[in-house]
Amino acid sequence: MEFGTIEREIRIDASPEVVFDVVSSPEHLREWWPDEAEFPAVPGGAGRIGFGDCSQGGTWVQFAVVDVVPPRLFSFRWTHEEGETAAPGNSFLVVFELEPAGRGTLLRMTESGFRERGWDEAKVAAEHAEHVTGWDFFLPRLRAYAAKVGAGA
Amino acid sequence: MSVTVDDDLWSAVGDPTRRRMLDLLLSEGSGTATSLSEHLPVTRQAVAKHLVVLGRVGLVRATTAGREKQFRVDQAQLARAVAQLADVGAAWDSRLQRIKRIAETIQRGKDTSDETEKKQ
Repeated sequence: MEFGTIEREIRIDASPEVVFDVVSSPEHLREWWPDEAEFPAVPGGAGRIGFGDCSQGGTWVQFAVVDVVPPRLFSFRWTHEEGETAAPGNSFLVVFELEPAGRGTLLRMTESGFRERGWDEAKVAAEHAEHVTGWDFFLPRLRAYAAKVGAGA
Repeated sequence: MSVTVDDDLWSAVGDPTRRRMLDLLLSEGSGTATSLSEHLPVTRQAVAKHLVVLGRVGLVRATTAGREKQFRVDQAQLARAVAQLADVGAAWDSRLQRIKRIAETIQRGKDTSDETEKKQ
């Protein structure tokens, strides 16, 4: 697996239309991720998401919608600097792909851009937004090794 | 442990060559700049510089045996890095679990109201 990319897949017992709404609307986003979300869910729509109480030391993070193809695809970029246009190199790209599966939906999530941004920035983002990082490559080995270490201790 | 140290630790393993070096040291048990460079597409000098970076954050420890320094992975520091990685890595999983829960609750609500309409 490419270092710098997180990939996840999850089966959901809800129609692609419902799942699409949950992953793409600011109202729902607030239920599963940030505390605040302000963005127009249209291609190129720029906005921001907030973590913590933004009137009292919380953090606003820039957010820009990339693609909107209901109910199949929703993607956005985030963590670029305020005033900058989101692009590869200054932000992370999150892509949700939805596929009908029986009466439900197979939701695929990919987050990329860690390699382009560099690890230090990814770590900074992590601290602000409990960010996930692209450790799928290295983590299993580390885990296995740590288990061995733990067992030996 | 300060945030700065943690940042250094993450940067140290953020480089593909250094991760490859850690892999080699884990599988071989120990290695020197020379032995590592034989498995890598970089010079011995470059490997030596990477070993300095890994040593600075405590991921490898050197012992001098013979003509060249022998390096080993520091198990305690590696375990510490693992703990951090695992914490960070769990965040998307929990977000996706929340997405699933929300969507399924909405779907159940829709299904119930559809059935009610049919009965009426």
